[in-house]
This record gives sequence, structure tokens and C-alpha cells, in this order.
Amino acid sequence: MAYLLQHLLTDAAARRPQRPAVASGDGTLSYGELDRWSTQVARALLRLGVAPGDRVALLAPKSAAAVTALYGVLKAGACYVPLDPKAPAERLAYVVRDSGAAVIIADEARAAQAAALAADVPAAPPILVTGGLAVAAESEEPLTGERAIENDLAYILYTSGSTGTPKGVMISHRNSLAFVEWAAAEAGLGEQDRVCSPAPLHFDLSVFDVFSSCRAGACMAVLPEEAATFPVSIATWLEREQISVWYSVPSVLTLLACFGGLGKFDLSRLRTVIFAGEVFPPKYLARLMAELPHPRYLNWYGPTETNVCTAFEVAAGGNAGDAPAPIGKACANTEVFAVTPDGRRVSEPGEEGELYVRGPTVMRGYWGQQAKTREVLVANPFRAEYDEFVYRTGDLVTLEPSGDYAYVGRRDSMVKIRGYRVELGEVETALYRHPAIAEAAVLPVPDELLGSRLRAFIAASPAALETGELTRDNVLDHCRQWLPGYMVPDLVEFRETLPRTSTGKVDRAGLARN
Amino acid sequence: METVVNDYVSRELVQDQRLLPLADDTSLLETGILDSLNLLRLVVFLEERFGIAVGDADLLPQNFASVNAICGYVRAREPGKQGAARG
Repeated sequence: MAYLLQHLLTDAAARRPQRPAVASGDGTLSYGELDRWSTQVARALLRLGVAPGDRVALLAPKSAAAVTALYGVLKAGACYVPLDPKAPAERLAYVVRDSGAAVIIADEARAAQAAALAADVPAAPPILVTGGLAVAAESEEPLTGERAIENDLAYILYTSGSTGTPKGVMISHRNSLAFVEWAAAEAGLGEQDRVCSPAPLHFDLSVFDVFSSCRAGACMAVLPEEAATFPVSIATWLEREQISVWYSVPSVLTLLACFGGLGKFDLSRLRTVIFAGEVFPPKYLARLMAELPHPRYLNWYGPTETNVCTAFEVAAGGNAGDAPAPIGKACANTEVFAVTPDGRRVSEPGEEGELYVRGPTVMRGYWGQQAKTREVLVANPFRAEYDEFVYRTGDLVTLEPSGDYAYVGRRDSMVKIRGYRVELGEVETALYRHPAIAEAAVLPVPDELLGSRLRAFIAASPAALETGELTRDNVLDHCRQWLPGYMVPDLVEFRETLPRTSTGKVDRAGLARN
Repeated sequence: METVVNDYVSRELVQDQRLLPLADDTSLLETGILDSLNLLRLVVFLEERFGIAVGDADLLPQNFASVNAICGYVRAREPGKQGAARG
């Protein structure tokens, strides 16, 4: 019985040890190799004193080595915390500190970065280098006994937090497996599939290519970073690697449709294209489907806190009309419902409400933030007889006559940029750390390719502006010390003061108008 | 031209301050400076600043691998030199 994520690997390795598990620039691993080598990582972690329930940070881009490492963490009974290798040092140090990571695993290229990171954290966790001697010296003999139960955490994914620091979404083995098994079945994954998601490990789309592929005994193929930059290079790679299932945010697919020259490539093996994370602008989806008519197109929806909770298959020939594809209906073993502002359950087509989710994929909470957890994991408003917690997404939806839900917008000030969540409050907090900034407000500007761009309004003393203490460039440099690239504002505008509403809050609507 | 392009890339595209100052022959790909969306921002900048038209088929690693590669590409594409670009 597979009740822990690593059971998927031991099962696949027992059935088909020779089949390819991961194809990556740093090598192709068979299921047998992945199973044995991840055991070595687990043994190395145990030797470093890692105990059940510990967190292990992972500083490595998606690769054969990184996948080996994360299975090693799970086999040791610990949970992995994937770090964004491109995030600024301050942010990485925050995540390592906040998660209380017992060890940092890094690939060879990032060993020095990991050492600097560990030195930045009071606990100074030891570093384990993938493929290093400490790992190679360990036995490949399977570990005996289990070190976790399905309720234990498998990974923590850090996402933007409205109060200024990232928050860790805790996902248990049960949470993840519920998605992984549904997704493998829904996409019809089999041993012959070659599955790619360009999403990095700290982005939850990567749970699909890492674990659902393993569930099906398929091969996970890693798009090389240098190919990911150029749409034509992505298309070349898709053809060469004979990718059959693709899962990404819409913006990557938009670039492929517009600049990929798809007509010149034989992508007949690509049978399923799945997108998630943000709204796919209808005209670009139509263009992609015109360029590549043969695959199935699936729109999956769900915040990191629930992984995927609804799904919609776009009919061949595209979605009728100019409206974006709906987010669809609840996945198997999941229920979703929308609640109106006056607390009623949406039942009539056209009605709008906030989407709630109940089911086994709903997260365990935010790491170390019980109060914040209680704001979103709330008692089911329609279940008086016993306590049951459901997740409030903050997403507003309408019910369509077909029974599908359609996404409308957000209840709060979260925006999506290239599928990444950005809390405007976190960007504002970073701006306020600049000593010359008196007031700051960040507003989203809709952008077809990016989802949103960020426009920062800054109030500062005339002296700071005249002396050049505060310029667009130094505001951006300041932001880059604290925020990952997708959270750095594109537009910076200076004011003497920011307009206020009658209640004293920054008048965002007023700023948006000018 | 190298100075103009280097300034733009350094100011607008480099996220990791440790990569600055940027040499004209530093790989923009291996350092992760150029991702797919930065590439499009760069293309818009080059088109506006140098009055060239960048074709979809030109969006290739060899044309954008470094500041030097970008300048070589732009020179070949500048008005009046289209023939040279086509070789």
C-alpha cells in the first residue's frame, strides 16, 4: 500500500528497475538507480542526525541530482523545503531560519552559496553536497522500517505572505498523494510517457512531473535552463525529447504559440497539454490550439494550499467566445463550493461567491503560523454537527450553467505574475525597509503576457529625491536585495505624499486612476 | 553600443547583484540573467533603441548569449545592413 510518496519510487523500482525515471542535463537515471541512490542520500542524512519530522532545505535546480535528494529526504522521514536558487540571499536565509532546516542539501555548483547561507543562520545547519563523497560512501541497502505516517509533512512550499515575509505551506504525504494519484489518472500517464513541467521545485506544479510520473512509471524530463529562455529552443527540445505530456503556467505556452515557430516541428508525440497557475488569455490559447490542434488541453486550478482542486478540459477547436476557459468542476475525492458575501452557498448559475475547498489535498496549515492558518482553514459553514475544516481560497468565482466554475478575481490584494503568487503587502514591506521611503503603495497593472506587472508609488521627502538618494534604480536595487525577480516592481513613480481615503488608508483606487 | 546594451541589461535584467559589474562576454544564459520574459523585454528595448526588427526566428541562443553577441546581432540587423544579416 502506497501511503508515503517514496513508496511510489520503491514500487516503480521493484516493477521496472531499468525504465528511465529522470532524464536531465546531469544524466538519465533509471528507477533502480534513483531508488538506490536516494537511499544513500537518506543514509547520509541520518548520519548527520536528521530525525523524523525534521526539515531539510534543498538548494538545487530541478535535475536528476535534486530528485534523488528529495526522495532521500523523504526516505529519512524528513520533509523537504525547496529553495529558489535565484532568490536573494536575505530571503533564502529567512526560509532556512523559519523552517528550522536541520541540513541544507546543495548541488556541487551551489555548495559555496549553501555554505554562505548556512553561515547566515544562527543554527548553521550542515551542508550535504549531492553526488559528493559523503553520499557515495553510504550503502545502497534499503532502509528498514518507516519513519513517517501519511499525516506527516512531505514538503513545505514557501509562498508570498501579505505581512511582509513568505509563509510556508505544509503539505503532508496524504495531501500530496491525493493529488499525485488523481493527476496521474486524469492525464492518463503510462510507462511510455515522457513528462515535462518547466516549473522549478519550489513551485507546486513540479509535484506533477516529479511524483505523478513516478506513480505511472513514466519518465520525467527536465527542460534545460538554457533552452527554457528561447521559445524556438523549447520547441526543438520538445521534438527531440519526444515529450508527450506538458504542464506549465500559461505564459510559457503563450510564448511558444507566438514565437515558437511550432509549425516547423514534429510534436506529434505531445498528446496532453496542461496549464495552471493563472488565467490563459483566450486569444493565445486559441492561437496555441490552432498551431497544435492534436493534444488534449486541460485547465487545472488550485492554490498551493490545495494543489489542484478543479479541472476543465477545453473542447477541441477551443473554448467558445472570448471568455477565458472556466476552472471547471471539482477533482475526484474533492468538493468545492462557493459562498456569497451574505453566507449562502452559491447554487444558481451566474451567482458569484468565494470558493471553498474540502478534501484530502487541503494543506496542514502554514508552518509556525497557527493564527494565519485559522484565517484560511475554517469550520465548514454548512456542517453544524461536527468540526470539519475547509480551505477558503480568497478566489471569487461564478457558477456557470454547465456546472463549471469560472474564475472572477481575488478578494484581497494578491496578484499572479507568471503564475507566482505575489502579495502586494510583501512588496510594500520591502519598500518600507528603504530608509528614505516614507510611504509606499504597490498596484498591479494587467499585462497580457505576465498576468500582472507591478507599479510602485513612493512618497519621499523632496530632499531625498533631489539629492538622488532615491531614484528608480536604487529603489529597484533595494527591492532585489529582499524579493525574487518576479516581485520587483516594473514601474516606479514618486510623489510628495500618497492620497488617502476618508478612513486614512492609501487611496488605491485613486492611484490606479492616474 | 556595448555600453548602452550593458547598461540596460545590468539595470533592468540582472536580479542578482553579485553578477555586477557585468562583462560584455559574460554568458547571459549560464548566469540565468536572461529568462524567456526578460528576453522579450530586451527585444522591445533593442527594437526601440536601435530601430531594428527582431524576427521570431532570430530568438536564438547565439544571438543573445552575451552583450557582445547581442551587439553583433544588432549591427547585422541595423537599417541598411539587412543584406549582411542574411549573410
